Amino acid sequence: MNIQDNYLKNKENIFFSQNKDIKNHREKLINIFKNDKFDRKNNESLKNINLKNFIDFNYKYLIPEETSVINNNQENIYSILSVNGQCSSFKDEKIEITKILKEDYNDFSKNNTIEKNDHFVNLNSLFLNSGFKIVIKKNNNIKIKISNIVTDDDLTIFQKNSIICEEGSSLSLVDEYENKNNSTSNIFNVIKLEKNSQLNHFLIQDNSSNHNLITTSHSTCKKDSTYIQKVYNFSEGYVRNFHYSELIEINSEADLQGIFFLKDNNTSNNKTFVKHLAEDCKSNQVYKGILNDRSKATYFSNTYVDQVAQKTEGYQLSKGVLLSDNASYFSKPELKIYADDVKCSHGSTIGPIDENAIFYLRSRGMSKIAATKILISSFINEELSSIDDDQMSQIIQKKLVRYLSKVK
Amino acid sequence: MFLEIKDLSVKIENKNILNGLNLNINKGEVHAIMGPNGCGKSTLANVLAGKEDYEILNGKINFKDNDLFDLNIEERAQEGMFLAFQYPVEIPGVNITPFLHSAINSKRKRMNEEEIDNLSFAKLLKSKASDLGINIDMLKRSVNTGFSGGEKKRYEILQMSILNPDLAILDETDSGLDIDALKIVTEGVNKLKTKNNSFLIITHYQKLLDYIKPDHVHVMVNGSIVKSGGSEIAAEIEKDGFQKFQ
Repeated sequence: MNIQDNYLKNKENIFFSQNKDIKNHREKLINIFKNDKFDRKNNESLKNINLKNFIDFNYKYLIPEETSVINNNQENIYSILSVNGQCSSFKDEKIEITKILKEDYNDFSKNNTIEKNDHFVNLNSLFLNSGFKIVIKKNNNIKIKISNIVTDDDLTIFQKNSIICEEGSSLSLVDEYENKNNSTSNIFNVIKLEKNSQLNHFLIQDNSSNHNLITTSHSTCKKDSTYIQKVYNFSEGYVRNFHYSELIEINSEADLQGIFFLKDNNTSNNKTFVKHLAEDCKSNQVYKGILNDRSKATYFSNTYVDQVAQKTEGYQLSKGVLLSDNASYFSKPELKIYADDVKCSHGSTIGPIDENAIFYLRSRGMSKIAATKILISSFINEELSSIDDDQMSQIIQKKLVRYLSKVK
Repeated sequence: MFLEIKDLSVKIENKNILNGLNLNINKGEVHAIMGPNGCGKSTLANVLAGKEDYEILNGKINFKDNDLFDLNIEERAQEGMFLAFQYPVEIPGVNITPFLHSAINSKRKRMNEEEIDNLSFAKLLKSKASDLGINIDMLKRSVNTGFSGGEKKRYEILQMSILNPDLAILDETDSGLDIDALKIVTEGVNKLKTKNNSFLIITHYQKLLDYIKPDHVHVMVNGSIVKSGGSEIAAEIEKDGFQKFQ
């Protein structure tokens, strides 16, 4: 079914479809789909992906019967069960969770950083059927774990979340995606960090081969705030991780890290776009991929330094290990610098596992497979050893062992 | 015979490197091979260790009653062969201690010996490191990563002393070492020497052989041994160079 018919048929189930402004915005989006010639050469959201599979879909959504928020005040830990993209409302002196509001939608639709031709973001806005807003109140330090569950086969989740860290607050957020059914989740997180706040955002993705996961996030950092995103993608199904970051006030920081473990025919598309819009800000991007069999990955990295953003530090690094001749990884780091007092660098290396290192380890008595596995582990050792949460470190290690067990 | 190399010819990328090389080493012997640059010394070391880049054109190698070509790289190591690399590979992220622990246990497993536990291994490693003047902090680092040339060679000898091989091949272990480091490394080798193990030392210079006394010295030119004898050959080379053997 084409986009327009799909929308018209289902608009009663789509959030804010009665709102005039949002309706107008969506009509514009429909026109983009109608008129776009899908420029596969230049549009980074279309690399390595058959968009047709995502446009010609049967919209199906189920309102969940049960969602939950559990808090443990003693340890400041909150567990959220997000079912089909929805979550119960909750409020205490530290956090407030509500349904996504139309103001949040409008706020998002006016943003200029996200490319207008990112079709997955446009689809998310068009068919929005779920999402929630989390506000961490001033000067609180808490941990949240969100388990993202999709209940049924053939569901199409279009979810928009808003996460706000108020002044002086600190949040450690673990987002877990472990879906085993034939469904698609298209999730957009809009993140705002107020002065002197920090968000450590971990995304653990481990879906089965029939689940498509499209995540996009946009963070805005004010004075002295820090956004840290660490993505661990072990999924056997398609995953897209795009992150747009804006450092809008002095001394703010974005630290983006992603590791993906691919095999079979799987694909992972990754993109980061960091805008330095104020002085003394830092950004660091490290993306590493391990690709086996016929898997494919892309990584597009952009750092833009505005002319006012003096004393910027911006670093980009991407590395890939190809375990098979049929695996491929396309990496394109880009810097656009309009200020003259900056420290910026970018680098990218992709290749097979180092045969000399394999020979060295084998010459000490290690089998070829053991040497290969130890070298894969060493490739991401720095990132894994920087996880300071023991429980999470164990979860990631366990998933790594599972991935390595399939390496022959 | 402990190691018997018969009529070995080897090529790499259409270039013949070893040409009918013969060499016999008995248990308890120290042999030195000297030769000019590019004569095939390191190729011989790599072929013995099992590096797969080479094409064996002809010949046979027997090691401890095994046809060496029937054993892959790790099986050769587990059988007691050890190559101290000329250029040890840096492997960031692979910690020295668990790597060496795993290496020693793979050998013990093949020999049907009981695996060494963490505590006993830590004690063994500490004591061997101390003998070689290796700082304990170095054992917390990644394999060869950020090591100076001398540290890398010292670390190769540490691995050798832990794995206690039957046949150790030292490929230009003296290169890049200052005189103090050379003394420490050669003392380490001499401590390991027993009547049950053998050494094949590859070097350009006589200096190393002042510290490790060889039973036999061989001159290698154009991929084959052209002269064999005792320590006097090393002195001859030191005086006149390799010219007269070519």
